Amino acid sequence: MAEEIVQQPNYEQLCLDILNSDKNIRFAGFVNDKSKILHSVQRNDLDSLLTENEIGMSIHYTLERWRKAQNFTFRLGKERLTLTEYDNVTLFTIPFKGKLLLVSTEPRIHYDPIIQKVNSVLTDWAK
Amino acid sequence: MENGTITYTQLLREDLGIFRVTPDDGVPDFKAGQFLTLGLPLESKIVNRAYSIASSPENKEYVEFVIRWVRKPLPGRLTSLLFNAKEGDKISWAKPAGNLTINDTLPNGEKDTRRIVCIGGGTGLAPFVSFAQHLHDTNDKREIVILHGASYVDELSYKQLLTDLENESISKGKDKWNFKYRAAISRPQEWTNRAWHGHKGRIEQFLRSNDSGKSPLEELVGEKITKDNTIFYVCGWQGTIDGVMDYLKAKNFVTEKNKREDGSYEVKFESYG
Repeated sequence: MAEEIVQQPNYEQLCLDILNSDKNIRFAGFVNDKSKILHSVQRNDLDSLLTENEIGMSIHYTLERWRKAQNFTFRLGKERLTLTEYDNVTLFTIPFKGKLLLVSTEPRIHYDPIIQKVNSVLTDWAK
Repeated sequence: MENGTITYTQLLREDLGIFRVTPDDGVPDFKAGQFLTLGLPLESKIVNRAYSIASSPENKEYVEFVIRWVRKPLPGRLTSLLFNAKEGDKISWAKPAGNLTINDTLPNGEKDTRRIVCIGGGTGLAPFVSFAQHLHDTNDKREIVILHGASYVDELSYKQLLTDLENESISKGKDKWNFKYRAAISRPQEWTNRAWHGHKGRIEQFLRSNDSGKSPLEELVGEKITKDNTIFYVCGWQGTIDGVMDYLKAKNFVTEKNKREDGSYEVKFESYG
């Protein structure tokens, strides 16, 4: 069976572009469907809110949710964005070229403009 | 189609379950490794699908299945109905069929005493759970090795049963019951699998020779695997079958479908994709 070949971007630069697109972004990273972190960047002046094991757990939960969401693709179309607001952080994920972009931002901010900026970066990279 | 009742359901995961069907007129005769076609009503029609039987032919109380609810690209119709079914629901079934059954004799009529190695990917384990229980219940003295491949540890659907069978082999002695079970997890890096210390990688890698020139399977059984001492039974996705055959063809093993002129072969397989 022929497999679709998707040109993969330079995730290191793409993560930096996303991180630099808005000062409220704390973290940007890409994972594949096997939970492998392809690349991630975090603001230098920030401490991680999660331990290493908890980051693994968080990625697992995120991917589980992503996989399950795909069970509705045949009716609802492709997932475009998922957003979770915690007290201490806002998280959103965007599927991109078969991978999943994970972004965390400062809490209680207007996230619409940030999502637009991130989508704009992704659109540029998709060209 | 005959009638029966779903008498037991157990979800191991959201998309993996064990189902038991009790036929109204008793469990039909079948051979270990065969499948049964089940049917449920949908929009005034009966939707049918075949599933491998996981219980043994000696079990005359119910027929058991382990079923994965695949939903991509589209959810299977009958499997979706089964995952919504309740214990007590009626279900129809057609007579058992299938050729992935245990060879008891060689083409020349002699008794087949070769080691039995079963390789199951995902729910492709089901016929081999039936094999194991059947060979156990009939006091078969052949050596049996079951290798199960899965992506996640919670997909190792019959780990307890098969581990118990291996422990029984250890306690009774190989001369009475000679059974081994190993599993491989193909996504060991994922968080769910963080505590997995068994074999990591695809199940067919049990056949790949390591630096010592022996494969993990050969290390497990303690001798070189040859077409004269071992027969393989394989069930799973076509990719699993192909992966196994990549190793076995190099050792001059042939499948039942490409048997030699004298009728001999060393691999039987069934793919479900």
